[in-house]
Amino acid sequence: MSAATEEQDRIQKRVNKILETRLEADKDTLDALNGLSSFFTENTLQNRRNLRSQIEHRSVGINQNFLKAFREVKLTLDAVCTDLDTMATSVQTMKTDLETSKALTKDLIEQTNQMQEERERLEVHQQIAQAFLARFQLSVPEHQLLYGTAKDAPIVPEFFKVLDRVQSIHSDCRLLMQCGYQTAALDIMEEMTLHQEGALERLYRWTQNHCRNLENNEIGPLIVEAMSRLQDRPVLFKYVIDEYAISRRAVLVRQFIEALTEGGHGGNPKPIELHAHDPKRYIGDMFAWLHQSIPNEKENLMLLFKKCDKHDISEQMQKALSYIADGVCHPLKVRVDTILSSEQDTIILFTISNLLRFYQQIMKQVVQGGSLEQCLIELQQSSEQIYLNALAAQVRSVLQRPAGTSLALEPPQRDLVPPASVSRLLNILKEILSVATMVDGRQADITKIVTCVIDPLLQSVQESAAHLPTVDMAVYLLNCLYHMQSTLAVFEYMDERVERLQAQSDAQLDTLTSEQASSLVANLNLGPIYTILQSNQTKIETNLLKIFMSKMDAFLELPDVLLLPQVQLIMSSAHRSTVQRRAFNVIVAIYKQIYERVHDPANGFEQPEALLHKTPDQVARILTN
Amino acid sequence: MTARNPQTLMALPNEENFDFLFKIVLIGDCCTGKTSILQRFKTGNYVERHGNTIGVDFSMKTIEVEGKQVKLQIWDTAGQERFRTITQSYYRANNGVIIVYDITKRATFANLQKWIEEVRRYTASNVLIILIGNKCDLESEREVDFEEARQMCQYIPEILFVMETSAKENTNVEDAFRCLATELKRQHDSSNVQALDENTVQLGQSKPLKSCSSSCNLT
Repeated sequence: MSAATEEQDRIQKRVNKILETRLEADKDTLDALNGLSSFFTENTLQNRRNLRSQIEHRSVGINQNFLKAFREVKLTLDAVCTDLDTMATSVQTMKTDLETSKALTKDLIEQTNQMQEERERLEVHQQIAQAFLARFQLSVPEHQLLYGTAKDAPIVPEFFKVLDRVQSIHSDCRLLMQCGYQTAALDIMEEMTLHQEGALERLYRWTQNHCRNLENNEIGPLIVEAMSRLQDRPVLFKYVIDEYAISRRAVLVRQFIEALTEGGHGGNPKPIELHAHDPKRYIGDMFAWLHQSIPNEKENLMLLFKKCDKHDISEQMQKALSYIADGVCHPLKVRVDTILSSEQDTIILFTISNLLRFYQQIMKQVVQGGSLEQCLIELQQSSEQIYLNALAAQVRSVLQRPAGTSLALEPPQRDLVPPASVSRLLNILKEILSVATMVDGRQADITKIVTCVIDPLLQSVQESAAHLPTVDMAVYLLNCLYHMQSTLAVFEYMDERVERLQAQSDAQLDTLTSEQASSLVANLNLGPIYTILQSNQTKIETNLLKIFMSKMDAFLELPDVLLLPQVQLIMSSAHRSTVQRRAFNVIVAIYKQIYERVHDPANGFEQPEALLHKTPDQVARILTN
Repeated sequence: MTARNPQTLMALPNEENFDFLFKIVLIGDCCTGKTSILQRFKTGNYVERHGNTIGVDFSMKTIEVEGKQVKLQIWDTAGQERFRTITQSYYRANNGVIIVYDITKRATFANLQKWIEEVRRYTASNVLIILIGNKCDLESEREVDFEEARQMCQYIPEILFVMETSAKENTNVEDAFRCLATELKRQHDSSNVQALDENTVQLGQSKPLKSCSSSCNLT
């Protein structure tokens, strides 16, 4: 039993397994069946018997196909393989070749590298050297600018730039020296100094030459610049200025002469000498021309020195200016002297003298310390002397009597008026004093002029009055003094003179008052009474008083009758009334004394009212009205 | 223009501040050196040769005396006889008279009496007179001793003092004027009361009638 069961089991298991197989799900089987169906078309025994061989046969055919295809592949691969081998060989050859040449060129490369480095280093050096040279040396064009291409080449503006550069190189050298390059720095400095000197020398020659040929005074910026460069070389600077001054002096003189003789372009303005017959205008024109031209020269000089600011050159400028201006001294002096010596008219001479003084003062402000200033001073002084001489001569000729040689007027006439000569002289004086002057120092002039006329006039008036009786003399002098005083009083600066004349008049007024009072005393018979009054006697004769009173009454009726006839001849009514008033006051005072004496009861006059019937107040009122 | 006094037309300049005004007249024979003395005093200069003065000449100078400004109006008269009528006019209103003689010319000294009479006749009684003997530099030509002049002064009470001067060497010139000015100022100070009637003619001092000029016989 067990074995049997076991066998049974196994079969059972197999059957089960087959039963459990699910054919439709097994793909391989399906594929196999599918392949089988392509050739196993008929299910015959034969076929079933041959199936196996058939399948095997088919398998051999497939394998043979495989073999054939792979052989071709193998052949192709072989060819490729051969090609690769060939390539490998040639690469190997090339590689060898390369190695060889590499070994051969190695030296060359090293050499090249070295040279390249060297070159770079040299290039740097070169740049430095060029920079240095550019900084510390002049280029060829610069050099040419500095020294000029030709011998007398003109200076161009760039010249000054180069000159500046020379200077800056020179100063840069200090820096260079501080950096330790003493030798080079010193060399360069020396070289630059030479350049500078050479250039300045050339500049000096050019400038001097230029100044020498200055015709229309065309001072360009170049000259100005040149002067500013030359100011550090005092000697050269001075020579240039001297040259300039010489040339301008000649030009100024020529222009002055031209203005005098030819006038402006085409005769407009007219030549100054055309007016030589009119001294005032002639001299005025000459000075006006100078006054216009000389400041021009000053301005030109200022322009010339515009950039010279390092030193004080005002003195040099002043010197140059006075040198330039001095040239006109001679032609000017000759002409003015001619006019002064030929002119006769005092008033014109005085006007000219004023003109000269005016211009002398004006010019003094422009040009100082030259012979022009001196020349003007001399001209002014000589003109002053000449007009004073002319005036004195004129005064003399008026005062001189045709026959006589001494100063004397016409003898006073009976009317005691100042003689015509007094009026003539005073008119001359008036005319002179009326000349307008525009200068300082007028007072001194006028005092001189007045002295020149009034002093001889006073002297001759006194001379001619000397032989007159006192009263006539006093009236005559008073009239003359009054005439002078009233003429002078309207002018300036006459105060002192008028005061002196006034004092003289006062003295004559005193004389006249005294004479008039004496005459009144005599005419009123006051003499004896007055003597009694003085002598402290108490008694006055009634008779005397009666005579006096009757005369006094008549006098009070017509006070003018007892005036001295000469007093009526006093020209000034103020003087006349002064004399009259003061003389009358004397009489009033005496009358008052008598009146008081008579009316004093102690003196025992009978009927004092009958004797003196007017009170002193009444008398005073009548006489002073 | 400076201000003017309308009556006199005289200038009233600001700087002319003076406290006193004295009038002085210089008289004496011709050629005694009156003009030189005045020029020396006025300008400080000496001119060797002056012409004869014609009539009168006139100068002003302000000096300081005892702290006051004293203005002197000085009349320089002609010594020549022919100008006597003119010069006499100038005596009247004077405060001081300077009579000048020349120590080298006795005649000028001898004439002093005549000059003093002129002064007595024409000037006020309170006038101060000083005597000056000029040219004292010419010692060798001296004809008048100083002592003689001093003695003469004793007899002429009006003369205040006598002094010898030299205009040429500037001896005593300034002193003479200064002394006179000082005396004038003192006189003025002491007679301030009298000064009130200065404006009126002082009768007691007028000249005698017989000296009245011949031309005034109007009867």
